[in-house]
Amino acid sequence: MTALTCRFIKLADGLLRGAPVTVCRAGAALQSRAPVIQCIRTHRTNTWWDEHLTEDNPWPRHEWVEGSRRVGLVAVKLGMMPVWTKSGERHVVTMLQVQDCHVVKHLSKEEYEGHTAALIVGGKNVSPFHRPEGYLEVFRNAGVPPKQKLTTFCVSDNAIIKPGTPLYAAHFRPGQYVDVTAKTIGKGFQGVMKRWGFKGQPASHGQTKTHRRPGSLGPGGDPAKVFKGKKMPGRMGNIYDTTHGLKVWRVNTKYNILYVNGSVPGHRNCLVKVRDSILPTRLENNKNPPFPTFFADGDEEIPEDLYDQDMFQFGEPMAE
Amino acid sequence: MAAACTSRTRQMMGLLRILRNFSQNERLLSTSVLRHNVASDGPPKFTPPSKPVIIDKTQKEASLRRFLSPEFIPPRQRTNPVKFSIERKDMIQRRKVLNIPEFYAGSILAVTMTDPHVNGNMNRFVGICIQRSGKGLGATFILRNVVDGQGVEICYELYSPRMRKIEVLKLEKRLDDNLMYLRDALPEYSTFNFDMQPVHYEITGDVPVNLLKVKMRPKPWSKRWERPKFNIKGIRFDLCLTPEMMEHAQKWAEPWRPYDMLKEYDTSSLEDHIFKEVQENLRK
Repeated sequence: MTALTCRFIKLADGLLRGAPVTVCRAGAALQSRAPVIQCIRTHRTNTWWDEHLTEDNPWPRHEWVEGSRRVGLVAVKLGMMPVWTKSGERHVVTMLQVQDCHVVKHLSKEEYEGHTAALIVGGKNVSPFHRPEGYLEVFRNAGVPPKQKLTTFCVSDNAIIKPGTPLYAAHFRPGQYVDVTAKTIGKGFQGVMKRWGFKGQPASHGQTKTHRRPGSLGPGGDPAKVFKGKKMPGRMGNIYDTTHGLKVWRVNTKYNILYVNGSVPGHRNCLVKVRDSILPTRLENNKNPPFPTFFADGDEEIPEDLYDQDMFQFGEPMAE
Repeated sequence: MAAACTSRTRQMMGLLRILRNFSQNERLLSTSVLRHNVASDGPPKFTPPSKPVIIDKTQKEASLRRFLSPEFIPPRQRTNPVKFSIERKDMIQRRKVLNIPEFYAGSILAVTMTDPHVNGNMNRFVGICIQRSGKGLGATFILRNVVDGQGVEICYELYSPRMRKIEVLKLEKRLDDNLMYLRDALPEYSTFNFDMQPVHYEITGDVPVNLLKVKMRPKPWSKRWERPKFNIKGIRFDLCLTPEMMEHAQKWAEPWRPYDMLKEYDTSSLEDHIFKEVQENLRK
């Protein structure tokens, strides 16, 4: 009989950007009385720790080229706060904290059945209990603690990253534009006025029991039916929605927080998917980003807070 | 007359303190001057110190009034406390540059803001603070004054970069936290002179409470101030409302409110913790 022991060593604090998570596995073989073939089963997969240190590195780091797409992040929506420009205009920003974001799997072009390769990224750490075995296996192969949210990012071939790499908030820089996708707040079963913005009927002047109803459902005898997709009452919210073209005002590298302009779908403490904006008018601002991502063990020294040029920094002395 | 005397004495005290400081640091000053002018000939040129540091050693820290600005206290929400601590850092950074004094609803303030539409770039407004709202960096306060017979209310953001100076001309509290009823009161209660001189206030002990009860204009008012939900103590209801009207207003009383445990929000421990953190960081 063989027994396999697996041990997980988790990161102490998700807030600090530290070394990548290490997972120790000890495949132990129990000495049994009966002469049974003992095999040490280890999880040897395509991705192993020192692959990228060898000569034929399957995960090379390329330079940014126009037309290449890089990974995004999974962040937690913390809340909102005001931000002022140097000229005194007030804007509101949403704070998105990148908590334990890791690349979990790489799917090549053929595997992904698309025209581009894909990278699956995981968000916040969660407990491995009460979760199906199949779900935990993906993380075990990558050597990463189980995550609450997994998303897929379509990525160009020069931007692939080795699974197990942590991703940080410095992946995005101030002045860049991002798209944020999240599940909207569920509103339950809602009427047609709230759900679709219908005008309803007047409150008085003879209206009998008709104030918030949809009214007519379409033309008369010719189609003699209600068209598919007719806007009617139903469940509202709790669907994925994307807000495009949000400017990044500030990046806090110590706590991994992105300050993103305007509002973002989802409630507080929900997980959101952040990626570079696909709007054609914002491509100018997204040039020369950290490519394929920002590596914490690299030589680049970045300050604790990165601000946009126009943003007013609170410690600035007042100009007389 | 009394105000002039107190301001005079305050100036004298200030001067005395500065002189005392100079005499204490005399040795420091003289050596630095000598070191600078070793090469030059002639008598050492007097280089005045950059800023007079007034250390008030007469008052001990324990006797100073303990005040935590209400916007530091986080609201009762299911938000990650990291968000509040980061916002507090920004607020403290701003407070190191701009001095935001202690004030309450009912104090008279003079605020100077930068304004691109004004010739001299600065815009000064004096008024009574009728409301302090907002938490974190978006904290605001509303100043009210009557200018040329027209009531004017301006809502200022405490942490806006356009804020240049906030002076407290008169520090006092009133019977209520929210003085919105001054809109329906007689205009004499909201008029304050723009050239008002600052009144001296103590930094120890309790804030003086003005027990003024305001006379109102005839009804209708902008809000039904007699209703118990506003809980207003600073209006002379006996002059404008009959006892029957007061009783009728009590129909909207919610006597179960003080016993509602779900609405309790005990901030005492939070306040202590935040106060210590803020004091520590401001001193750095």
